[in-house]
Amino acid sequence: MWERTLQDLIRGLRANKNDEAKFIAQAMDEIRKEIKNKDMELKAGAVMKLTYLNMLGYDMNWASFHIIEVMSSSKIHLKTVGYLAAGQSFDDDTDVLMLTTNLIKKDLSSSPAEVAITLNGLSSVVTPDLARDLIPEVFAMLNHSRPHIRKRAVLTLYRVCERYPEALPQGIIRLREKLDDSDPAVVSTTVNVICELARRNPQDYLPLAPHLFHLLTTSSNNWMLIKLIKLFGALSPHEPRLVKKLQPPITELISTTSAISLLYECVHTCIIGNMLQGPSGQSLAQTCVSKLAAFLQDADQNLRYIALLALVKIVPTHANLVAEHQDVILASVDDDDISIRMRALDLVTALVNKHNLQSIVQQLLSHLVQPQTSVPSAVQSLSQHVVPSIPSKAPSVPSQSSAYRLVLSQHVISMCSNSMYDNVTDFEWYLSVLVDLTYVSNVDIGSRIRDQLVDIVGRVRAVRAYAVKLMVKLLSDETLLVHAGEPGSCSEVLWAAAWICGEYCGELLAPEELLPYLLHSEIHNLDPDTIVVYLQAATKVFGYWFTEAAQQWTDDLLDKVKGAVDSMMERLEDFVSSPHIEVQERAANILQLFTFIKHDLTTYRPKSEPAFSDGYSASLSVFDASEIDSGPAFPKSLYLIHPLFSTYELNPVASAAQASVPIPEGLDLDAWLVPSMQVPVNDENEGGEVVAEKKVKKKGKKGKEKGSSDRTKSKETKRRTDGEEVLVPLEDTETPEEIAERERQKAERLERMREDPYYITDDQPPKPPVDDVDSIPIIRLDELPPPTPKVEPRLFALKSSSARSSSPRFVVEKEGEMPEGAIPTPPLSQSAPITRQQTPSLFERISTPPPILPSFQQYDVPGNDARASTPEPIKVTRVKKKGTGTGKKKHTTGTG
Amino acid sequence: MIHAVLIFNTSGIPRLTKFYTPLHQSSQTVVQKIFSLISVRPQGLCNFLDAPELEAFLGPKDGSNERWRVVYRNYATLYFVFVVDGAESELGILDLIQVFVEALDRSFQNVCELDLVFHFDEVHHILAEIIQGGLVLETNVEEINSSVQSALKARKDSFISSNPLALGGSVGGSRNGGLPTPLNWLTDRLTGVSGR
Repeated sequence: MWERTLQDLIRGLRANKNDEAKFIAQAMDEIRKEIKNKDMELKAGAVMKLTYLNMLGYDMNWASFHIIEVMSSSKIHLKTVGYLAAGQSFDDDTDVLMLTTNLIKKDLSSSPAEVAITLNGLSSVVTPDLARDLIPEVFAMLNHSRPHIRKRAVLTLYRVCERYPEALPQGIIRLREKLDDSDPAVVSTTVNVICELARRNPQDYLPLAPHLFHLLTTSSNNWMLIKLIKLFGALSPHEPRLVKKLQPPITELISTTSAISLLYECVHTCIIGNMLQGPSGQSLAQTCVSKLAAFLQDADQNLRYIALLALVKIVPTHANLVAEHQDVILASVDDDDISIRMRALDLVTALVNKHNLQSIVQQLLSHLVQPQTSVPSAVQSLSQHVVPSIPSKAPSVPSQSSAYRLVLSQHVISMCSNSMYDNVTDFEWYLSVLVDLTYVSNVDIGSRIRDQLVDIVGRVRAVRAYAVKLMVKLLSDETLLVHAGEPGSCSEVLWAAAWICGEYCGELLAPEELLPYLLHSEIHNLDPDTIVVYLQAATKVFGYWFTEAAQQWTDDLLDKVKGAVDSMMERLEDFVSSPHIEVQERAANILQLFTFIKHDLTTYRPKSEPAFSDGYSASLSVFDASEIDSGPAFPKSLYLIHPLFSTYELNPVASAAQASVPIPEGLDLDAWLVPSMQVPVNDENEGGEVVAEKKVKKKGKKGKEKGSSDRTKSKETKRRTDGEEVLVPLEDTETPEEIAERERQKAERLERMREDPYYITDDQPPKPPVDDVDSIPIIRLDELPPPTPKVEPRLFALKSSSARSSSPRFVVEKEGEMPEGAIPTPPLSQSAPITRQQTPSLFERISTPPPILPSFQQYDVPGNDARASTPEPIKVTRVKKKGTGTGKKKHTTGTG
Repeated sequence: MIHAVLIFNTSGIPRLTKFYTPLHQSSQTVVQKIFSLISVRPQGLCNFLDAPELEAFLGPKDGSNERWRVVYRNYATLYFVFVVDGAESELGILDLIQVFVEALDRSFQNVCELDLVFHFDEVHHILAEIIQGGLVLETNVEEINSSVQSALKARKDSFISSNPLALGGSVGGSRNGGLPTPLNWLTDRLTGVSGR
């Protein structure tokens, strides 16, 4: 019988390249047979072959037990095979490992050759259990007569302590002894182990510092010096005196050593070890940066790479020193080598400040521009600040994977948005950068761009007009619409575009011209979330346009309005049966509104023909005939939509706002909403309150199936014993006073609900809201010029174009709005997360009733002072009713 | 600490894989991923592989904010790849790869890919004299070589004593007559450590 050796297997593999799978399957069958053979040689041969196949990706976990059999062979050439296979395939889940404890114990007391194999194998397979049981043997090996074994024992000690930390205190003592070992190689491995351990708990190793310092000043072994320097880099942040002591020898090493790796480690340790502080540190910092800068310009790419690596770490403390070499660093972003580009990108991001942001971003953007694809002309025309011409070296831009493009795009956004747009001075510029990114990034970063757009427009009032203009361009770009859904299309940006255009359509001179784009037939292609925003935006635009039209009503507008309403309804009908519930619901709601408007429009008769209005039209109209005579000259339903969206202004909300809403007086969050829930409990307990409490408590512990209800009950009873005996009104024991009180409250509630547009009451015939047109608040943006005939013939001309030209100062509302009467909280940190940033749909509407604030102060920033100056408690009830008229209230879906 | 040592050829076939830290993905995936990124890098670029595609594998692990690094060297048809963390000096690892290759060369006399193919166990044993459990054991080539030789001798003796009839012995690093492909030792610039 011929058995294949490892060599035969490998030859066979090479000969059967075309049918490898079949050959390996056959070989596996042989291995399975051989590995069960009693002949140890054969078994070991099978394990060896299996280990080889394992490297090629074949499973060998099933053979763990056979591997242990081979490990236990007394022949060293077989034992080696066993330990090798164990090291390659065993992990913490290998259950047979617990069988090896005694085997390893025995092997560690054997010949030096076997001990070496065993220690090496143990380093690979050690588990917490093995570590605990074998600690004494490993300690004993530290004093072996042969340096080779002592080295291995020291390294094994590291793995043992790593898996079984309880051994560490004893281990540190042993390691300290080993620092004095007669063999320099043993000392070197010991330093190696301490360096590794000290990365986790540096404080524990500070007592070793004098010893290590001695080694640092006397040794000439570069390998060990590198590790010592690394070790001190971890220790010195925890011991200021060490910094002072280390500075001279390290400075000397930097100036004398010829080994670049040691030089680099010295520089690196100076940076991470806090050695660059103070007057003496300043000159050292200078030396370090100049050494690194020299590396940066070296022909050796490796040195350039590590120099970038170290410079990133020095930027936080010595940005000005690094900034001197900005040109070289920026050049590295153009490097052919992606490794260097990645590190340079990190460094550049760290270096960004107000002054260089625009040029750096411009350069990064030019990387994204692919030479073969022509940039859409729209982008170039939009980005006035963007250098329009692609740099001439664009064709040599190195090959870029999409992953790299994504990283690059993310870096561009994060360096701009860093610490709440601290470095951005010109937000119009940043908006155009974002639009450029949409076109050139070609990776899936659309959602991040979307969030940025919404965030900026929400926070920076001065940029809104420009943003609307840009977004109109995006909306009118059919390529975005057509390619929506394809990877890298960034179609999420349309979400932001539609939202911004809808919310701030007042910035447009002729918002109705936007409607064809919002009602484009291709919007089916979009994400349902985006369709929702499109529909909503279209409705907002309609609302704004209608009010505009109503104010300068001429009867020839009627046809235009009618046509627009028809096209809107036509589009809406497509979506009423949408499978996406949100789309469907909004479409249905809006459709109802428009049905009403359409009805009103068809019944509307121009005033100039009074003969008609006297006649049959009056009876068809939803309005009173008497009112028509005195009523306005336009269809009243034009005022239907706008107030739905414009009553409150959107503001950024501070991240802590929700938490600091004070609980209004008289609101008891623990009170029962449905008191009758309590009735059965009381009946059951026959009114005895003390008994009830005990019983309920017991039950709460016992009955799991009733757990939740019992728990609430017991809470209730407990509260009752606290003194509030009548907290639970029972239906049958209600006093007349209570009944009267309840009735009164109900009446009050109904009254409130009638006023509230969000409640539909059924006890009175629904009056069309247009009934009292005049009471509907209308927001007039007073700063805007009064509606005049089109001055600018351009499409989508902005209204406030004159204001724009005077280069507005951009103010970012960093903190966001806080509720009135907010409970004083510790001052927010600068980087307080803005909830809205991630989820733009969570915008909260903060009310500002327009009658009280007749004009928006367009460029005013309600910052911290605004919050501090209006500390009025929140009123839950209607402001009008109470007459306290404090002016503001907060509308949220949940807490009201 | 060194987390992995990989050797694969220019076609991406692994010749040695040694992981000192258990991975959460199969070693095949890791080798293939690293290979696909390294093989497209032309000569003359730096020896550190840094790519966004590796972020999942190299990125910060459990709490620490430290990335692993892939340091590699190309010798003839082979790539030698070390995956290390911040406790290792980047340039030092480059030198260590050189030490490893020199040690292989001593054992196999003018090592070539075929030696590694047919003696993958021996390559493991040589590596075990340089790195144990992810930490550097020895960096001196002479010292490494003598340890390798004495371990080899112990295995040979053991083999002969249990197979008295075998000739020559099938254990160990005897050459199998592969085509010698001289390695370009000196073309790579040494960065210092082993030069001193």
